[in-house]
Amino acid sequence: MKNLDERFEKYLGEFQPRRPRALPEPAIHWQVWPRRLAAAASIGIALGASLWFVRKKSEWNGGEVVAKDTALIPESKLVPQPLSLLPLTQLALENPEKLEAELTKASQRVLPDFRGRESTLRVLAKE
Amino acid sequence: MARLGDKKLNAAEVRHLYGQHGPALVAYARSFVTDAAAAEDVVHQVFLRLLSQEVEVPDVPVAYVYRAVRNAALNARRNGQRDAPLDPQLSAFKHRGGNMEAALSLEKALGELPEEQREVVIMRIWSGLTLEEAAVATGAPLNTVASRYRYALEKLREKLRPYRKE
Repeated sequence: MKNLDERFEKYLGEFQPRRPRALPEPAIHWQVWPRRLAAAASIGIALGASLWFVRKKSEWNGGEVVAKDTALIPESKLVPQPLSLLPLTQLALENPEKLEAELTKASQRVLPDFRGRESTLRVLAKE
Repeated sequence: MARLGDKKLNAAEVRHLYGQHGPALVAYARSFVTDAAAAEDVVHQVFLRLLSQEVEVPDVPVAYVYRAVRNAALNARRNGQRDAPLDPQLSAFKHRGGNMEAALSLEKALGELPEEQREVVIMRIWSGLTLEEAAVATGAPLNTVASRYRYALEKLREKLRPYRKE
């Protein structure tokens, strides 16, 4: 029986299904690519805008402007400025010495001063 | 709905699948839709959906395409594309020895088989699947698939007897 089946399978193999016409290119590319491009463009615009905003903000708050201002304002009246990562990284890449100076200056503003009469440490020590 | 393990095929994989199984799938589609062009359209419709990455296919893509072709062919049949007469020039099969009558008889005999038997024969003989693979493709137990195949061969043997030199 198995032998009979094998011979018949071989016979069926003499028939070949007709080869269909080639597969056409899908037209869908034209529908998908504009969507992908639009998504990429919006991501690019969002990234660009946030970078521009961060740069502008750092120009308004930090860098040279702050350095000039601190020279005029007495040290005791300085309000601690938040350290911004982006301008600091930029400074580290461009001018490490200036970064060192900036960090020293910032540490004087940010860290508690124990030399002044009303310094945090003295107040705490009294309590 | 996509299931775990489902994936989208890239264009090269889809074209490879078409090259490997396209002719058998058109023959399969023609057992539902006798119009040759409509059967090709049905198969193209399935493969174009794969090319456009609209669908995710399971681990055994050939199983998916057989299912999809079947459904698309049934839809086409419902839309009234069934009753085209069998034209010798447009037979789904070609006989290596040029026996057009035998080719037409084979097509007719396949069309008369119950769907699940026809499916297994086409998968096994013209798509080159093993019975185990056909079982995975159809979702039926191996023993059931083997029985369907045996019954189908018996019926086809009977129908094609006049054309065979035993």
